[in-house]
Amino acid sequence: MSTMAHEGNGTFHDELHHHAEDHHGHHHHGNFWTNYVFSQDHKVIAKQFMITGIVMAIIGIFLSLLFRIQLAFPNESFAFMHAILGDWAPDGRLDPNFYLALVTMHGTIMVFFVLTAGLSGTFSNFLIPLQIGARDMASGFINMLSYWFFFVSSVIMLISLFLPTGPASGGWTIYPPLSALPQAVPGSGMGMTLWLISMALFIASSLMGSINYVTTVLNLRTPGLTLNRLPLTIVAFFLTAVIGILSFPVLFSAALLLMFDRLLGTSFYLSDIFIGGELLHYSGGSPVLFQHLFWFLGHPEVYIVLLPALGIASEVISVHSRKPIFGYNFMVLSMLAIGVLSFIVWAHHMFVSGMNPFLGTVFMIFTLVIAVPSAIKAFNYIATLWRGNIQFTPPMLFAIGLVSFFITGGITGVYLGNAALDIPLHDTYFVTAHFHLVMGSASAFGFFAGIYHWFPKFFGRRLNPRLGYIHFWGTFVSLYLVFFPMHFMGFGGVARHYYSNTAFTFMEVFVDLQGFITFAAILGFLVQFTFLANFFYSIFFGKKSTENPWKANTLEWTTPVNPGHGNWPGEIPHVYRGPYEYSRPDVKEDYLPQHIPDEEVERADGFPEHEVPPKRESSPVEVKEVDEE
Amino acid sequence: MDPQSLQSIIGIAQVLLVLIFGLVCLNLYLVFRLKDIDPFAKWNPNKINGTLFLVFLVVGLIAAVVSTGAWSDYYILITNPASAHGIQIDRMFMNTSIVAAFVTIVTNGLLFYFAWRYRSKDKNQKAYYLAHNNKLEYLWTGIPAVVLTILIVDGIFTWNNIMGDPPQDAIEVEINAKQFDWTFRYPGADMDFGATKVAFINEGAGNMLGFDVNDSKGLDDVVTRELHFPVNTDITLNIKSRDVLHSPTLPHFRVKMDAVPGMPTHFTFRPTVTTDSMRIIRNNPEFDYEMSCQQICGGGHWNMRAIVVVETMEEYQAWLREQKTDKPYFAVTAGDKDNSSDIAENENADQSNVKVDGSVSMNQ
Repeated sequence: MSTMAHEGNGTFHDELHHHAEDHHGHHHHGNFWTNYVFSQDHKVIAKQFMITGIVMAIIGIFLSLLFRIQLAFPNESFAFMHAILGDWAPDGRLDPNFYLALVTMHGTIMVFFVLTAGLSGTFSNFLIPLQIGARDMASGFINMLSYWFFFVSSVIMLISLFLPTGPASGGWTIYPPLSALPQAVPGSGMGMTLWLISMALFIASSLMGSINYVTTVLNLRTPGLTLNRLPLTIVAFFLTAVIGILSFPVLFSAALLLMFDRLLGTSFYLSDIFIGGELLHYSGGSPVLFQHLFWFLGHPEVYIVLLPALGIASEVISVHSRKPIFGYNFMVLSMLAIGVLSFIVWAHHMFVSGMNPFLGTVFMIFTLVIAVPSAIKAFNYIATLWRGNIQFTPPMLFAIGLVSFFITGGITGVYLGNAALDIPLHDTYFVTAHFHLVMGSASAFGFFAGIYHWFPKFFGRRLNPRLGYIHFWGTFVSLYLVFFPMHFMGFGGVARHYYSNTAFTFMEVFVDLQGFITFAAILGFLVQFTFLANFFYSIFFGKKSTENPWKANTLEWTTPVNPGHGNWPGEIPHVYRGPYEYSRPDVKEDYLPQHIPDEEVERADGFPEHEVPPKRESSPVEVKEVDEE
Repeated sequence: MDPQSLQSIIGIAQVLLVLIFGLVCLNLYLVFRLKDIDPFAKWNPNKINGTLFLVFLVVGLIAAVVSTGAWSDYYILITNPASAHGIQIDRMFMNTSIVAAFVTIVTNGLLFYFAWRYRSKDKNQKAYYLAHNNKLEYLWTGIPAVVLTILIVDGIFTWNNIMGDPPQDAIEVEINAKQFDWTFRYPGADMDFGATKVAFINEGAGNMLGFDVNDSKGLDDVVTRELHFPVNTDITLNIKSRDVLHSPTLPHFRVKMDAVPGMPTHFTFRPTVTTDSMRIIRNNPEFDYEMSCQQICGGGHWNMRAIVVVETMEEYQAWLREQKTDKPYFAVTAGDKDNSSDIAENENADQSNVKVDGSVSMNQ
């Protein structure tokens, strides 16, 4: 395989060379369209994913504020609501159907478009070639297609917001029959059709991306970068891609069958329905079948969202603690265990769906087993901090915040994974609190940690750290203020997806708390502008970065400040050791980059040079060894 | 001065204050920028952020404990269970909570304490080189595994207990869900439900539940808008939906089960506290048990309320007798009734559509 990698690199050089000759050296960087729009360079594609992800995040979070205002003030009317939403907010109050549409679109956009494509798309694309020492992805063309499928999918999803019947309104899980019948909710008309088309394109995009990531990691590693020397970011992106390849097609089939039910009148999910004063012809289908298919993707999806964030946190915490990540092997094994187990826990979303209770027992066991590797990861992060030399840079702050959310949000999974406890807690705000902390907040913090950490590599400039501190503390505190009190509402039995809590006496008492949460959410939203201002200002006017501003070990920091097409101007560096050799007592500096051969390492005082092994042994690992991996 | 103009003056004053504040900030910024002064130059970010983590830990912990307590009066889902299995669930909830609170506080505590304690004081200093320690790894693999095993075993027994076969003598009550209300059906004097089918629904005639108008067993079925249960008696809910998914939820009883069109589902439980007793326990004479829908089902999802009353067996039977049973749309009359109910007793055939096990009958 390593020979292939060599050949691949050779071909790439030839291509570049050839390209340059063709255009007599003038256009060897391509024109505006091929450079910035239909680019096949992984770094440009990563930036495209990043910007699109940020735009989608702003939209997704803004939608949530609209319905949060409704929850906080269920009986008030706001002129601005009518101004923004027109007929969807007659008299300045949200229409109940549009409330569900907002909830649905918030969930869909945040889960798929921000935390799946925005996170994986940005960092897998950017870091995989840079950290494994590859010129680009295995297939730049498919990589480009992956982005443009995602782009078209985003546009279609956003267009559905402007339909007269509204966007999809059945929740992001689009359970039929609600999502199949336009009589049941207006959003299940054209809005749902566009949702399904958009998701089909999204799945195609995700698959093209994932196949590329897997191929690139397996085939294009630089000599010496054996699989057990991979940075944990790459391990996480790799496993995420594998999980995506195995699970997204199942969502596609689920969506396809739903499409058939809607358009062709088949009965995969529908049976015995009387709605809108008439009996429908469907018979013999099962809504529970859809839930099985949906969650077969849906649960791995949680880890598709979370694993990249955990990978980024591993890298960031190690670099900024100036300490090796604690228990590298256990970190890899636990991610592997999470990846495998994520496929056999899906029905814990369905304990009270009417499925056979025996299934509940089986899925409860696997669900609580998956808590063990998660716990290992949390403990290893904490152990990495112990006796570190912690530099509180903005990425480090976000990584620590991520671990806190991961713990606080993860622990409530032990309640929900327990079928008996899930009976009362299912579909209450307790669930909302759980997954917003462990999946939403933790992954969002992974995204931020990644942006702050790799911004110098993305744009060759630095973000303003002070704005970063304000951004972190504002976001960290407000996210806890938003999601922690939701546990209380869960204990109070307050149901999710409720337009108003005023219809039930046991829910009504929490309207004040809803108001508090809404204010915290608005605060959190406003704080994001410190990030946006910092981000866009620094792209153009930020302080110029150096090549390796964090003194990190991994290969991306060996490229020029602004790496060009092909990443390294000369030869690709070889790798001689693992990525987390920080603060080694025998080395002068507190870091030891992967690409420096042992004989060139500057030793610390008192560690004689003769301890360096003979040169032959420290040369890059032989081709055969990589092959065996 | 009339209140309206006073309000607008206050409004203008607020806007002015914000403007002035903004201008002052801008001014300060420009002065610092022009004179190249950095007012925060002496601030050490490691010290500040490290300290803030410690402050966050202490303040956060206090706030979490105080606020959790402050709302505890309203935690109907985890206090004062009103059913037999609810007591088991609440016990397990408390056990899990003790573990969860301990783990959350210790791990978050260590995380923030280490963050503060090992903040870099000197850039040139080195961290302690420690790449792994397998004993520690085994320790924190083993302990969660053991604790989780205990919780799993407890959970499995409780779950199987709740979901096990219902007792023969349980009272059956049917919940019919539709957008956006509930209709309940009791078997009536013959203790037997008349056959129903979605295809038989005739809203114009008033046959909302789709009674088989030729099945006289349905004539005495009691159709209500309120749920009444006798206390300390096993109740089996037969749950149906005629349009989309719903999820009848009785939070006080720790009961929840989706209503699935085309597939009846079931939940058996035993209410143990009457409405009157719960009013005394909760010290609230207005208290009522309520049932809600907790599976997203459309625009009226938030408003599918039904009152649930738990009373003594005598009160329950008296209430049942008071309910009207007239169903003018039936083809058979009360005269035919005795005939067919005898047949039904012998054959017990028409009951099949409500008795089949939901989990395997979805294709029937």
